[in-house]
Amino acid sequence: MAMTLTSELPAAPVVAPDVTLASLSEQVSGRVLMDRAPLWWWAGFGFSFTLFTLLVIQMAWLFVNGIGVWGVEIPVAWGLAIAEYVWWIALASGGTIVSALFFLTRSPWRSATNRIAESMLLSAAPCAGLMPIMHLGRPGLFYWLFPYSTVMGVWPQARSPLWWDFICLIYYILMSIMYYYTGILPDLATVRDLARSRFKQIFYGVLALGWRGSSEQWRNQRTVYAIMSAIMAPMVISVHSVVGLDFAGGLTPGWHDTQFPPYFFFGAVISGTAVIIMLTIVVRWGYGLQDVLTAYHFNAMAKIMLVGSVMLAYAYVWEAFGPIYGSDVAQKTEFFQRAFGFTAPAFWSEKILTVVIPQLLWLPAVRRSRTLLFLISGGIIVGMWQERFVFTTSSLEHNYMPSYWGRYYPTFWDWACLAGTIGLFLTLFFLFLRFAPIVSIAEMREVIEEERSK
Amino acid sequence: MTHQARTYWRNLEELAETPEFAAIVEQEAPRFRDILNAFDRRRFLQLMAASMALGGLSACGPEAKRRQLLPYVEEPENVIPGRNRYYASAITQDGYAIGVLIAHQMARPIKVEGNPDHPASLGAASAIMQASILQLYDPRRAQSIIGHGNITAWEGFVSALHDRRNALKARHGAGVRILTGAVSSPSLTAQLAALEQQFPEMRWHQWEPLHRDNEYASAIASFGRPVERIFDVSKADIIFGVESDLISATPGWLAYARHFAAARRPTETGGAMSRVYAIESTPTLLGAKADHRLAMRPSEIVASLRELAALVGAGPQKWSEQNQNDARAAWLRAAADDLIKHKGSALVHAGREQPVEVHVLTDAINGALRGFGNTVRLIAPVTAGASSKRESISQLAEDMASGKVDTLLIINSNPVYDAPADLDFAARLSRVPFSVALTLYEDETALACTWRIPATHEYETWGDARAFDGTITIQQPQTRPLYGGHSPQQVLAILLGDLTPDSYTLERNHWRQRAQQEGRGDFEAFWHEALRVGVVPNTAASALSLTPRPATAFELPPNVGNSGSKLQALFRPDEGIWDGRYADNPWLLEMARPFTRLTWDNAALIAPSTAKRIDLETHDVVEISVEQTKLRAPVYVLPGQAPDCITLSLGWGRTAGGLSVGVGFDAYRLRRSAHPWITAITSITKTGERYRLATAQSQDRVLGRDLIRESTLEQLNSSPETVVRKGKPESLYPGYQYPDRAWAMAIDLNSCIGCQACTIACQAENNIPVVGKDQVLAGRIMHWLRIDRYYSGPADAPDIAFEPMPCMHCENAPCEVVCPVHATVHDHEGLNLMVYNRCIGTRFCSNNCPYKVRRFNFYAFAYTNDRPHESWNPQVTVRGRGVMEKCTYCIQRIRTTQIAAAREDRKLRDGEVVTECQQSCPTQAIIFGDQNDRGSAVAKRKATPINYVLLEEVNTLPRTSYGALIRNPNPAIRDERS
Repeated sequence: MAMTLTSELPAAPVVAPDVTLASLSEQVSGRVLMDRAPLWWWAGFGFSFTLFTLLVIQMAWLFVNGIGVWGVEIPVAWGLAIAEYVWWIALASGGTIVSALFFLTRSPWRSATNRIAESMLLSAAPCAGLMPIMHLGRPGLFYWLFPYSTVMGVWPQARSPLWWDFICLIYYILMSIMYYYTGILPDLATVRDLARSRFKQIFYGVLALGWRGSSEQWRNQRTVYAIMSAIMAPMVISVHSVVGLDFAGGLTPGWHDTQFPPYFFFGAVISGTAVIIMLTIVVRWGYGLQDVLTAYHFNAMAKIMLVGSVMLAYAYVWEAFGPIYGSDVAQKTEFFQRAFGFTAPAFWSEKILTVVIPQLLWLPAVRRSRTLLFLISGGIIVGMWQERFVFTTSSLEHNYMPSYWGRYYPTFWDWACLAGTIGLFLTLFFLFLRFAPIVSIAEMREVIEEERSK
Repeated sequence: MTHQARTYWRNLEELAETPEFAAIVEQEAPRFRDILNAFDRRRFLQLMAASMALGGLSACGPEAKRRQLLPYVEEPENVIPGRNRYYASAITQDGYAIGVLIAHQMARPIKVEGNPDHPASLGAASAIMQASILQLYDPRRAQSIIGHGNITAWEGFVSALHDRRNALKARHGAGVRILTGAVSSPSLTAQLAALEQQFPEMRWHQWEPLHRDNEYASAIASFGRPVERIFDVSKADIIFGVESDLISATPGWLAYARHFAAARRPTETGGAMSRVYAIESTPTLLGAKADHRLAMRPSEIVASLRELAALVGAGPQKWSEQNQNDARAAWLRAAADDLIKHKGSALVHAGREQPVEVHVLTDAINGALRGFGNTVRLIAPVTAGASSKRESISQLAEDMASGKVDTLLIINSNPVYDAPADLDFAARLSRVPFSVALTLYEDETALACTWRIPATHEYETWGDARAFDGTITIQQPQTRPLYGGHSPQQVLAILLGDLTPDSYTLERNHWRQRAQQEGRGDFEAFWHEALRVGVVPNTAASALSLTPRPATAFELPPNVGNSGSKLQALFRPDEGIWDGRYADNPWLLEMARPFTRLTWDNAALIAPSTAKRIDLETHDVVEISVEQTKLRAPVYVLPGQAPDCITLSLGWGRTAGGLSVGVGFDAYRLRRSAHPWITAITSITKTGERYRLATAQSQDRVLGRDLIRESTLEQLNSSPETVVRKGKPESLYPGYQYPDRAWAMAIDLNSCIGCQACTIACQAENNIPVVGKDQVLAGRIMHWLRIDRYYSGPADAPDIAFEPMPCMHCENAPCEVVCPVHATVHDHEGLNLMVYNRCIGTRFCSNNCPYKVRRFNFYAFAYTNDRPHESWNPQVTVRGRGVMEKCTYCIQRIRTTQIAAAREDRKLRDGEVVTECQQSCPTQAIIFGDQNDRGSAVAKRKATPINYVLLEEVNTLPRTSYGALIRNPNPAIRDERS
């Protein structure tokens, strides 16, 4: 697979020919070590942080007044928070797929983008993790899901998909942090070595854990990183499948469907890649990394996105085929309500944004245009949000009991929660951008050496 | 207290008298407002000094004799925490008693249940009866005596009234008027009779907005004297309802409903089942159960009934000769044939809204069908002075206008709000110099009177009342007056010269005298037994041997009067708040109405075809004018409503009295004395405004799900196995075993009449909070047990089915597997339990419940409900915010009974555990018990061929199962529907 994928890519260089080992280190570390951040960083960070404060206010309001401030009700007991949980975790998973799966395939384009992907993943994971906790009726007691021996003598209920999900999420976040750290270790040492101020030397020195660059250390780091990649790649698939089981394990028409785990994974591939493309475009522009993040990368990621959208199209066909072919009246009604009822605008625009428009990526010209890529990626992310929203709420709205059908209207605080978590995501990403090397220097060195040896 | 023309204050005491401060007191501590208003600083100090000085003397007061403080060192006998004690009493509706047993926990009344020994209850309790306990505790009840705008002590009122009495004596009571509701109380009637003796010029008026004048007026026409008609529904094989409230409101309806349902359970009657026909303008509970129902405008009902009378030989033949060929005539002919075939076991019943003529025709038809003595029994009127309430109030209003009234006592009546609009009662009342309102709330009438006295609730005082069949119950107080109320007997006693009236003594004296007259032997023994059982033995009225004069129907005017206008309005009692007197009761306000499923509002009910014609839909606001009066009301399009008839329910749009102020619209404004029930609508215009009505049900139809299984009696008797198709539950896993007990419930759809008693009973028993209209709109209503109403067939003439939905207690409960914290689990007897303390509120259980019976505390609803803490049921946890809850099969009742049986070292008997819904159900539609016990009632019901479970295909194995709806159509009537 690795060979075919690489050989299809154009002859464009993975890295500009004038980049040397030293200039690379200077260029990447320089962004971390600069004394004053550029204006665009401050603007972006300021905007993000403002949104983040909205999240704090929203949480305070929510915790003081109760879950009733959101639009959730009976029967639609899960609303935006759960839809967004799935959305965020899909973005995060996309990051892992790019960074771990394509490490295993030894795709050269991955070296320059994996750090962006991982930073994105670590920014998105807390947003995902917050959602299920905020949405609890008694959020202070979320820790009852931990398998620890309490005075109540009650262990978590292992048959519940929510518990599987909780365990998966915890492991996923912990593993992601370790994976990121293992990868960034040599780069932190590079930054330490190039740092001039005492504070930064100590700060990055501590973080670098005494990395000296000995061959022994390199060998260990590479081994651990490879093993972790081998764990992370299948794990992200299973984590996202378990998220799918939160729904597939339910009895609600529209959820009770075996295709959910792969369906969710397809969604993760496309939306994760989309957000990485968007962030890469921003970083490349902001930090002037045109030499390192080349057309080669965008071309490769656009193709991944295209593959994702085709996979998603396949899932959409099954989304319709199951209920229509099946004999269950409730499933059928639910699907027709979803597609032609109240949620129809969201349902159809989501299909257009995530499947129809991305077909433009078959054209090399579109793959080369960063503006179009940015717009298509943005559309995919919005479309994926709509998709999560539609299947979460529409299924509950059109449940088995016609007498108890419902209608979900998000309130101001629902939207504040969405805006706030976007703020949290961007805030974290801007911090990564400012304080950690955003391109893997160590891996890029390998690429440069490989290019040179050609 | 008088501070004139000061615009500044010098000290805090003066500041304290600002209206703002008074408003704060009113809001924060209503119990202190008396103090605020009654005292200034000096008065307060004077009284404090006096009370210090006289402190020792207080033990000598009359109160001390009645009050006893008992140390808990020796437990009071039988006051056991966690165990109910029951006290019999009665509640009145329409003036008629319905026997209740009131459950006390630790000596405080908690719960109302029907008294099985009482003929009007037979153990059942309606929604209104269930909610009466909340009214007892209602903190919004009137709490202070106010005379001429000032808060006064009781003694102040006593002396004022007594002074008045002396003045009146001289003129033999000229100018004295007493206005009451319908009164069946023997003691109150005796007092009024004594008053009439003392004051020969005094007049006693009666007013009930939902009066049954037409029934009495027609009785005079038919029988020559006012009588009550009592029905023996168990003998009726054919029931023909004319806008009938036979199983929804007429006195005795709970008992009628019981017999009605018993005759419609073919699996228990050996294949027999009564047949019901209904003609009506707006769906009634009887109409919903009818095998054949025709919706028609009020003015068409008379014509149809004339036709029917002619067909059964009770009216002139020519009445049946018009419209020979239309579908309605064929329908009526078939019904008439059926009625004739069942002479002696047929019953025709008309509701109170129907005009005199309809009732006369009803009597004539019942006479022709040999109903009297079989299905209908006549007794002397149970309520005192059963004359026309309409005439009575008109007379009073006229006299007030002409200045003939100078002293008016209004007892538990609210004429300012509910008297006919043309009487202009409020303006005329203001001309009465001395008016007293004894009312439960500071309602419209109380505010318009010079004196307002808080009345006692029926559960707070001694009294008596008669049931629909004449049976007397002596009402015993369940608690001392919570808000300092006084009873009607006490107030009347003052007029009779008693300055320290005490309702206990009054009541006992009355009965001592009466028991002596009737030769009832030892009074104490009689008294104790009457109180204990809740029924005074042998007081049921004996049947009068009267039959309608055969010619009455023939003497009716030859033509049916036509109203001229095409659109007619029909006034109806509200199913929850009745005539408005329960309008402060949040349980009843939030109770979803059986047909509309509306909460917190009334609406103008309109047929789908009419709505289409005048381009209206639900939530549109219209302006309805009747003559000059205009009324704005939201529209609700109701399937089954007669075309061109708009039903307006009464009792809403109050302007004083508490919670319900401004809720809904006031249909009384359109109601005139000449047209109390049915009136022509001058015009109806769409305003273009929208008003959001909050309903508790989403879709009206089953949408292809097998939720309501329905069949005919014929099919049931010929091939019972085809009535419900049953699948075989399949599973890869072995099922759980329940070797000991297996609790289960069986609900008979055929018996359920949709009266909502179970919903409110469940709310009372299980401490279910009220959420308010906004939260109902937000989809957060909390009822554990709801009654779904489904339609089938055409929108203008649908078949209606009711389906009570408690928790199904599935053996494969989908809620349990998805809870991550074991908050909902199964027990060894098959109960699906909710452990509130473990719940963290993921709400996955609710998502996963196919039946949608789980309710979530999105806010701390229970903690914000405005009711005293002592009114909650201590047997059941009050749930906090963020916790899921649902029907528990009344686990507290199961456990209490199990513990009692264990203490007595015996097995539980079948029928010993009674869930609250089962207890309250008038029709015994709900049966609960151990399905492992082959002989149990629930196992027997489940063994019938019509038993089925909901959503069998989901394989949840519910413990709650349903008995299919069986209809008994007349083969001679072919409906358009399949």
